[in-house]
Amino acid sequence: MAESGFEGFEKRLELHFFGDDPLKNMGLRLIDFESLEQVLHAVHCTVVSAVGNHFFDAYVLSESSLFVYPNKIIIKTCGTTQLLKSVRPLIHFAGKLNLTLCECRYTRGSFIFPKSQPFPHTNFKEEVVYIEENLPNNLVYRKAAVMPSKNPSYSWHVFTAADQNHHLRRNLNSDVTFEVCMTELDRHLARKFFKKTGDCKTGDLAGREMTELTGIDDINPSAFICDFAFDPCGYSMNGVDGDRYSTIHVTPEDGYSYASFECVGSVYDDDVDIVETLKKAVQVFKPASVSISTTSNSCEVWTKVARAMEPLGLKCRTFAIDEFPAAGSFVFQTFAAANRRK
Amino acid sequence: MAEEGQVIACHAVDSWNQQLESANKSDKLVVVDFTASWCGPCRFIAPILADLAKKLPNVLFLKVDVDELKSVAQDWAIEKMPTFIFLKEGSIIDKLFGARKDELQQKIALHSSA
Repeated sequence: MAESGFEGFEKRLELHFFGDDPLKNMGLRLIDFESLEQVLHAVHCTVVSAVGNHFFDAYVLSESSLFVYPNKIIIKTCGTTQLLKSVRPLIHFAGKLNLTLCECRYTRGSFIFPKSQPFPHTNFKEEVVYIEENLPNNLVYRKAAVMPSKNPSYSWHVFTAADQNHHLRRNLNSDVTFEVCMTELDRHLARKFFKKTGDCKTGDLAGREMTELTGIDDINPSAFICDFAFDPCGYSMNGVDGDRYSTIHVTPEDGYSYASFECVGSVYDDDVDIVETLKKAVQVFKPASVSISTTSNSCEVWTKVARAMEPLGLKCRTFAIDEFPAAGSFVFQTFAAANRRK
Repeated sequence: MAEEGQVIACHAVDSWNQQLESANKSDKLVVVDFTASWCGPCRFIAPILADLAKKLPNVLFLKVDVDELKSVAQDWAIEKMPTFIFLKEGSIIDKLFGARKDELQQKIALHSSA
């Protein structure tokens, strides 16, 4: 393990809003781009590529991704970004559109280089204190928890907060969110995320090549992929399929290699689809360790996760489940490759 | 009318048809940017497009708002935004989906020199 390097592990923030929108139900999408740039500036990242459709806007950032739906925003950033600094300005800009925060979710794994993280990300306790200071009083249900794994240096951290009406919305929410974190990527596969020497292709063009070369476009063939390759290595993509997003971020350097895959599905989805998607995503990287957090209102979706990992030679080492306000069940599982050539 | 070097916004079907007709008669490359006022990615790429228009006066840049010109957006089956459509002599020669700076510049360079 290297002593220091780029932190691939992301911090993820999801904010839900409600309110009367007199302007055609576009809600948060009406926040003007200059305001979004201000928010991202506070976090220390910028937009490098983007695409939108009738359901949402998807931005590839210099350090991960941003998704803007009419009623929710999802930001996921890596490195040493200060993600939580986006909470206050986002609530402010949403407020100007008469939109009120009704739910907040913050999740992350454990940093590979925790000492390199700036305030308030120095530890989970500080993060929770910081979020709480910036949340409005109507979010009366709050819970913070650390879900441990068999590996003492790796845990899944969750904080959620919701208003008193969250139970009314629960039955309307059939979403399932999968957050997959992979480390110790297969070296040969990780090399595909380095820009070829002498290649003058830049950014999105180089990204398109990596998407096709690595089979990422095969994970969900019906998704449109907005991709980007960083210099000298690294890769990000957002997948857009109707109202569903997916996103992949890769830090390929040996010693601290990392890749994340995240997507949203439905509790009504065909089992086969979820299993196939997760399998294909993990197979792009053939990691030695995988952690998967599954968030939904269903208690059964996680079984599909284990079923997806087993045939890849990944044995389940951890299983933990906990309930959180509004978000529902968080199931946290870790997997390790049974036999691994080093 | 000094319209060269600018992205020309078509606000009505008539002006859209007019622009296309005159472009078809020349062998100018036409780049159409399909946008929506509620689509952030469109606002991200707008200044980049305006800059390209300034630098390349021999390319015709048109902008169509999918809500203003609903029928045109439907005819061209616009689903993702921004969508850039490249036309020459009346035919679609290429398409680009998304606010992708490098790919946009590459395609313009490719098609304006051909």
